[in-house]
Amino acid sequence: MDKPILKVEGIHAFIGKHHILQGVSFEVKEGQITVLLGRNGAGKTTSLRTIMGLVPISQGSIQFKDQSIERLRPFEIARRGIGFVPEDRGLFNLLTVEENFRVAMLEENENTKKRLEMIFEIFPDLRRFWKSKAGILSGGQKQMLAIARPLINPNELLLIDEPSKGLAPIVVDHLIEAFHRLKEHTVIILVEQNFYMASQIGTHFYLFDDGRTVHHGRMVELIQNEEMKNKYLGISTIPSRGIQD
Amino acid sequence: MKEKSLTPVQQFRLREKRERFRKPSIYIKILFIVFLLYVPFLFQSFELIDVIIKVIIFSTLVASYDILLGYTGIVSLGHVLYFGIGSYLVGILMGKWGWVSYGSLGLAFLFAILISGILSVLIGFFSLRIRAIFFAMITLAFMEFAFILASQLRGITGGDDGISFKLPGILSVDFTLGKFGGIDVTGRIISYYFIFLACFLLFMMMLRFVNSPLGRVLQSIRDNEQRSIAIGYKTYLYQVIASTFSSCVAAITGGCFALWVRYVSPDSSLSVSIMLDVLLMVIVGGMGTLYGGILGASFLMVARAFLPKIQYLVASIFPGVPFAIRFSERWLLYFGLFFILIVYFFPKGILGTLEEIIDKKRKD
Amino acid sequence: MGGIFLIPLLLISPKTYCTLTISGLAMGMLLFLVASGFSLIFGFLSVLNLAHGALFTWGAYISFTSFSLMNRWTGWGGSESFLSNMVIFLLSLLLAGLFVGLLGMMTERLVIRPVYGSHLFQIFITVGAMIFLEELIRVLWGPDDEVMPVPISFIGSLDFFDIVVAKYPLVAIGVGIILYLSIYLILKKTKIGTIVRAGVENPEMVQVMGHNIYRYFTGVFAIGSALAAIGGGMWATFVKSINPAMGGEVIVFALIVAIIGGLGSITGSVIGALMVGLSYNYVAYLVPKAALGITMLLLVVILLFRPTGLFPEGT
Repeated sequence: MDKPILKVEGIHAFIGKHHILQGVSFEVKEGQITVLLGRNGAGKTTSLRTIMGLVPISQGSIQFKDQSIERLRPFEIARRGIGFVPEDRGLFNLLTVEENFRVAMLEENENTKKRLEMIFEIFPDLRRFWKSKAGILSGGQKQMLAIARPLINPNELLLIDEPSKGLAPIVVDHLIEAFHRLKEHTVIILVEQNFYMASQIGTHFYLFDDGRTVHHGRMVELIQNEEMKNKYLGISTIPSRGIQD
Repeated sequence: MKEKSLTPVQQFRLREKRERFRKPSIYIKILFIVFLLYVPFLFQSFELIDVIIKVIIFSTLVASYDILLGYTGIVSLGHVLYFGIGSYLVGILMGKWGWVSYGSLGLAFLFAILISGILSVLIGFFSLRIRAIFFAMITLAFMEFAFILASQLRGITGGDDGISFKLPGILSVDFTLGKFGGIDVTGRIISYYFIFLACFLLFMMMLRFVNSPLGRVLQSIRDNEQRSIAIGYKTYLYQVIASTFSSCVAAITGGCFALWVRYVSPDSSLSVSIMLDVLLMVIVGGMGTLYGGILGASFLMVARAFLPKIQYLVASIFPGVPFAIRFSERWLLYFGLFFILIVYFFPKGILGTLEEIIDKKRKD
Repeated sequence: MGGIFLIPLLLISPKTYCTLTISGLAMGMLLFLVASGFSLIFGFLSVLNLAHGALFTWGAYISFTSFSLMNRWTGWGGSESFLSNMVIFLLSLLLAGLFVGLLGMMTERLVIRPVYGSHLFQIFITVGAMIFLEELIRVLWGPDDEVMPVPISFIGSLDFFDIVVAKYPLVAIGVGIILYLSIYLILKKTKIGTIVRAGVENPEMVQVMGHNIYRYFTGVFAIGSALAAIGGGMWATFVKSINPAMGGEVIVFALIVAIIGGLGSITGSVIGALMVGLSYNYVAYLVPKAALGITMLLLVVILLFRPTGLFPEGT
């Protein structure tokens, strides 16, 4: 219970000539929802992609359940039990909701059926639109589908990139509820720009700046730390009072 | 007194001018030109002169293609269409319509440039708006279409048999200026110099074009189109300009080719196999380096001329074994294999790989 | 929109129209076989395979050789029985498909894999492969044209109420429809087919979901090549001759059909192919020299209104 399920140590990564990740380290344990925070371009999405094997690392190590996965190909990593929801959702719009799940399903048995029931419980709209093409769903529903898809497998780790992007606040609230329910089933790493959402569902955080992880801790600590929020996220909840102070 | 500061391009040019006579490459170039000028006096064998003039013509053609492919990044598979237009215009005016005179020759070239230019703009308008890969396929289709048109419209183009024709005045085969420097200066020799001059000028123009500010914009479009658009360049316009310029050059080389062989037919000027040759030459020589065209063309023309001789050699070693004969006969087989290997190991071509090596040495 | 194809009725007698329609549909089916392979390969692997025409030619030659050999053993090709003819015909096509499918797999592994991601180098390297494969045919079979044997019962025509319908085109249409339906059903109903359809949209995501997309790449390439081969065998039977350069002539048509139909879509290939086949035949009858022009015109018109083809990126 105390060993981290995922351990990322000192990874460096290049995209073309750009040194995007210059030393990223973090770890997550069971029961946690870890949020990766930081400004745009700080390396959060790239970190997720390196875990998934979509971006090669030049240095460092990535360990999942005590096994090195940094040299594996994406489909091998997926088969180890890691699910990935990219920023653009990665839906197959011309396929139906059902077919989207079919592609995602790695095996078909009793457990799959049970998991599907659970998915329908959290995201009832998916049952209604089961036979419809994914492309006609609304923004919020698409996001639900994108997050629900990897749940059909017994994934122990879920990587989700900016789930609340482009969603209306009421939909975000629904998502937050869904995440609370998901927490019991799988470990989640989230990249999130929306601090409200991040603070509502995250248990732990890592702050990214310029391709490095600079701070981490429990979410409750960050919520109260105005200085850090301002410095790394450029947000502040204190109304500005002018130049002095 | 205010000093007018120079733009980066101007600074670069100034530096180039100053260093010009220190670089070894300029001497190689001068030597090469002198060599070419001297060729008719050097070699009595007509076959050799034939190979060399073809190298000159195709170098220019390939260089024009390189502007499109290597500098602007437009993948066209129908470039030889303009080559064919140039050839056919010379052939039709001189041959079909029998207007054998300097004036009509000039007119032929003029029309070739005009028609190629207009066609290029039209195709560009239509096709540059779609994905690059479609453009490649569509240009191929258009060229095939032109090929079939040329084969079918016997009345205008002489069909599959093509058109043979004579040249005017000092260019004609019968003409001779008399002896000079040990050889008989015939119309052929004069044609040689005429074509050489034309291609030389074209090549200089292309160099100028590529090194101008316009040329740099084209390279920026090739490297990162989105960025160029973001900076404010109407990339589409530049692409059309580059494409039109290169088509016109191709058309002129086509006319020169027809001038030399005094014959034009679908197979000799409009076929896909010529396009394949150009592709091979550009990749062997190196994309994005105009001089690569010269290397590629030399390589291919020389190989073409001498491989059949090697074939006979090999065939004579294994007499009476039909399979062996067939294997050695079909040198195209090795051509294809060679093509594949070059793309695999030397995607930058001879010149490109050389440049890379030199660059690496400079960094150390 | 399909009504456009009834316009020629104004200019041609109904009986001739029927004959032309049948041959147009047959030509369309043959084009479909070649174009669909190319379209699927481009849609799924994002690879421009200019050697596709050479694989077509290989298909023709393999079915030529296998047909001749089998006929020598069994004589089914020369018999009057439609059934024996069909069996030997289909077997020769099957063999062609299998052999070229394997050839395709090798080509994908050796020649295509190194150039994934760069359309330009794909053009270069597949051109080299095309030259090599074509020349290999000249080495193995000789450079001359050969006569393609046609099963006896396929020759000639039937007389339906005064309408002359050539027999072989009917066979071609039949085989074409069966193949189209088979592929369509595989794509729609099986898990593998669904994964392929998903891969046409987003290959990276398919990998992320745990599927070894490289295996699928090889598979789709093999099937696309096999389709071209079957198309080659059938085309050869249609024109009753084979020569090493036949691929080059057909590939341009196939290219046009694939673009018109939308790259990556089987249904698009079928519809595009039928459009091209029909229009070519009608125009060839009315104004022989304009036949090719109509195909180009079709291409231009469709691209002006739908730059990505009729059915972009999907069935």
